[in-house]
Amino acid sequence: MKFSARLQSASLRAAAAAVILLAGSAIPATAQQLRIATSYKLMTLDPHFSTLNENTSLLSHIFERLVYQDEKLNLQPGLATSWTRVSDTRWEFKLRQNVRFHDGSAFTADDVVYTIERIRSFLKPPSGGFQAYTKAIASVSAPDPATVVIETEGSQPTLPLSLSAIFIMHRGSEGFATTEALNAATSLVGTGPYRFKAWRSGETLELTRNDDYWGGRPSWSEVTFRIVESPAARVAALATGDVDIADFIPARDVETVRQRGAKVESVPAARLNFLQFELGKETAPGVTDKSGKAIANPFRDARVRKALSMAVDRSVIVDKILSGYGTAAAQFFPNGLAGTSSNLTPQPARYDEAKALLADAGFPDGFKVVLNGPAGRYPGDGETLQAVAQSWARIGVAVQPVGVSFSVFNTKRGAGEYGVWYGGCSGEAVDVCLEAVLKTPDAATGAGALNYGQYSNSAYDGMLEKARATDAGPARDKALAEVTDFVMRDEPIIPLYHFHHIFGYGPHVAAYVMHPRGWTTAMQATPAAN
Amino acid sequence: MTIMTSLRLSQRRIRGALTLPNGILALFVLAAITAPVLAPQNPYDMLQILGWEASSPPGTMSGNGYRYLLGTDGLGRDIASCILYGLRISLVVSVVSAAAAAAIGLTLGVVAAYFGRWVDAVIMRAVDLQLSLPTMLVALIAIVTLGPGVDRIILALIIVQWATYARVVRSVALSEAGKPYVDAVRTMPLSHGRIILRHLLPNSIAPAITLLPIEIGHAVALEATLSFLGLGVPMDQPSLGSTVANGFQYLLTGQYWISLFPGFALFALIAAINFAGEDIRRLWDPRSRSL
Amino acid sequence: MALFKVISGRLYQAFLLLVVMSLIGFVGIHSVGNPVYNIVNIETATPDDIRRATELLGLDQPLWRQYLVFVQNLATGSFGTSYIYHLPAFELVLSKLSATIELAAFAILIAAAAGTGLGLLAGTRPGTLVDRMVVIVTVYALSVPSFWLSMMLVLFGAVMTGWFPSGGRGSTVDLFGWEWSFLTADGLKHLVLPVLALAIPNIALIARLARAGTVEVQRADFVRFCLAKGLSDRHILFRHTLPNISLPIVTIVGLQFGGMLAFAMVVESIFAWPGVGKLLIDSIQLLDRPVVMATLTFVAITFVALNAIVDLLYAVLDPRVRISA
Repeated sequence: MKFSARLQSASLRAAAAAVILLAGSAIPATAQQLRIATSYKLMTLDPHFSTLNENTSLLSHIFERLVYQDEKLNLQPGLATSWTRVSDTRWEFKLRQNVRFHDGSAFTADDVVYTIERIRSFLKPPSGGFQAYTKAIASVSAPDPATVVIETEGSQPTLPLSLSAIFIMHRGSEGFATTEALNAATSLVGTGPYRFKAWRSGETLELTRNDDYWGGRPSWSEVTFRIVESPAARVAALATGDVDIADFIPARDVETVRQRGAKVESVPAARLNFLQFELGKETAPGVTDKSGKAIANPFRDARVRKALSMAVDRSVIVDKILSGYGTAAAQFFPNGLAGTSSNLTPQPARYDEAKALLADAGFPDGFKVVLNGPAGRYPGDGETLQAVAQSWARIGVAVQPVGVSFSVFNTKRGAGEYGVWYGGCSGEAVDVCLEAVLKTPDAATGAGALNYGQYSNSAYDGMLEKARATDAGPARDKALAEVTDFVMRDEPIIPLYHFHHIFGYGPHVAAYVMHPRGWTTAMQATPAAN
Repeated sequence: MTIMTSLRLSQRRIRGALTLPNGILALFVLAAITAPVLAPQNPYDMLQILGWEASSPPGTMSGNGYRYLLGTDGLGRDIASCILYGLRISLVVSVVSAAAAAAIGLTLGVVAAYFGRWVDAVIMRAVDLQLSLPTMLVALIAIVTLGPGVDRIILALIIVQWATYARVVRSVALSEAGKPYVDAVRTMPLSHGRIILRHLLPNSIAPAITLLPIEIGHAVALEATLSFLGLGVPMDQPSLGSTVANGFQYLLTGQYWISLFPGFALFALIAAINFAGEDIRRLWDPRSRSL
Repeated sequence: MALFKVISGRLYQAFLLLVVMSLIGFVGIHSVGNPVYNIVNIETATPDDIRRATELLGLDQPLWRQYLVFVQNLATGSFGTSYIYHLPAFELVLSKLSATIELAAFAILIAAAAGTGLGLLAGTRPGTLVDRMVVIVTVYALSVPSFWLSMMLVLFGAVMTGWFPSGGRGSTVDLFGWEWSFLTADGLKHLVLPVLALAIPNIALIARLARAGTVEVQRADFVRFCLAKGLSDRHILFRHTLPNISLPIVTIVGLQFGGMLAFAMVVESIFAWPGVGKLLIDSIQLLDRPVVMATLTFVAITFVALNAIVDLLYAVLDPRVRISA
């Protein structure tokens, strides 16, 4: 009797629990809750582990930077309210007052010192990406809690831009926090508009509103990121209302998303996808004549590079592969952004002219190349390899397109196994790409990090150095545009396209402000009036 | 078995082979062989593909003067032609790999049964290892290690399939090797190779033959799956599986034709092979008729 | 004593399998590429950064030494730390386990029930239209490649009708330290399509086995005797047919359940179901070797263990069967 009664009450309790569970899951998303399907798989909770958007985009809810880059790529005050260049090598940052970390402690200059020290001297590779931004810093000090003074090695006119990449952490009581400790932590302490709630690696990141945020009460009470790497799955999740925002919608899916009642925003990315050549070696891997015999590296002849560039039908890539959500390119950033040249405009394909130029360079019958690239890394990458193969076939250049995963691609490219390949570059400003892709490689300064083809042009190197030493402003932009004009005449790369970032959002979101750096954050979304 | 009964049996075999699935299978094979003639476009020839006619719906006229009966894919390849050429890859890959795996498995199975002792132990331990893992996993590891390419896929599929043959053939050959005639032959001054080749092998071949069609069906599906995962054929030589995979991205956008038609072709091909395999099993192996 | 021999033989075989597989997996992943490129920002890192990162992960060492380190770590029970997620690799695999288990368990339960039912339905009426239909439809069902079946389920079950979500796990509940979807209505909805994708070929497989067994049993003398004795169909079904066909079904259920842990790769990828299979595919793409090795080992052990359990069950269900090493 007793036993059965207990059993009864136990099963009752179980039933009640089940009802509660079901009810809990049945609550529809309110206007205050935001669910985002993102392609960015947060790899770690350490804000200084990787400079990839994969990490920084999601962590920017929790952590903040001294300086913030707005959607025009202009610098805006973040945790620093103002900054001045006191002397050639000395910068002074004034910090925002009354900012509190999520654990209630006050934000001071000491936290900035701690952050920069952690990156410079504590973290070991592979978390070395951020050291690129602190390399120019000679010393950092905090004369008072509201001021940070930074001494640089030589003149650094773009130090604030470098600092716009660095998340400020709180100085804890127990020395430097390790990446492992941060990953295992149940709480993360930043100053950002949202507080950390839970993280399941590769699956979800859950955030709650930081009611004490210095910038006012954030719009959303709860934010849940769902990591969905398959673009088709993100589209489906948005189309079926499972999420409110989906980032990086494939261009071809835009119509479907619209038909399902979601809105779409897009912006040309501050980046370029291009073809790059092996130029340093006498022979280029994968390049032969039509019968398969090895030939001297044809890409060292600027006429060949020009002919190949003329024979690319960028309109097919932009209109068909990217469904219009791409801009044909002739330089690193889309025309109009700071530091771009108005003289450079993409041309339609001119096959006859290209064929004549190729004959002129000694290749009337063309040659054979293996065109390598990552597949599934950038919008339209794999398809572009094949579209280029179609185009070049028309001037007698037989292409074997080979797409592999991004890490395999990088391994082989780094090992010099490629003759011509598809690459990409993005950055805070256009000179980052000018320096990484085209400057003569130099291990000491880190120049030419993406110049895997060993392009070397000393006149250009000198011009670029001068332009980069110029203070931020119209003079600097003009100098950078002139440098671009000068170097592109030599056809060191074949610019292909600037793809567009395309985001979709459902009825709970009134507006989403796109950022050309491709960030996905709740701060960019405004809730719909309920 | 009298001549009359065997004649009647072969008549039944011939009649039994004239079924609808077998007819469809024959059509598939014929289409694959004559693909260069049948297909309006060679989807592997870059010059024949018009990039600006990409994603055309079925029935659109091409600038090259023919009609895209089943539409084009995201790069302008004619889907109908892709199916015909993809059939070639699927069939070549599966038949070659199954035949090679059967030959290897047959040989090793018979050798294991004939020599016994440590030879048997080594071969069967390898078979056990192989079969104690899911085929998909073995294929995946093999193709990741070998790298992409049609020849690599064939190799990977051989690695996956040989063990099944070896195990089946060994058990039959074992009972065969125990029969008096083999003992009798062993006393004669014949080489091992000769005994195996002339006596043991012909008598152990039946199970390998009944297994062949099933394994070909498996191979088609495996090749397609590997290609679907992006680990198979080169991107400029789409097989049925990779054409379906390319179309997956377009499926949700209403461009259903890119993956729907090749998917159906793939499905019909595997089904036809499986039905033909059933027939073969029923006719050659009466014990399994009830299956 | 015999049992001891059996068990030690099995363990030896499993051990050999793991050694061979770990070697192949190790060499395979190593030959493909350097995972460092997935971790550093290739657009800002200098060659020096990349070199240092490679050294830190120990990837600059000769392969045999890396393998030795791997084995040493393994002896202390560690598969190492994921290069990408910075979590202990085996922990990561275990955290994805509940997702795969609930998927496979639901699929195999549905397949066993529906398959046996269909098999009995057809097998007790050999030669009828119902029987012919079951035989033909199951061949078709076994011919659909699983990725194609999954895509069609997404197209019809999610995109066109909107009945079910097209991917993801939905909301989950914590039970015994693991997250489960089937305890919430939302989670159940997410389970439907991937479970169907896994179950359909297995329904066909089990139906064919059950049908063949039933036909055989019906032909058997003892059933004719039972009929002659006037026993009810029901009695024959439950007392004779079912026990007799259960053996192959148990086998296939066991084997397929193990296979699903691996085969679910495709289904999990298409439905974005965060299980072990998807983890394996993702980790191979990212060259996250510790996770790949941990996943492979886990799947292999499970597979071997399930095989052993199936053999044991065999012996229990059919005393004629003798287990051998």
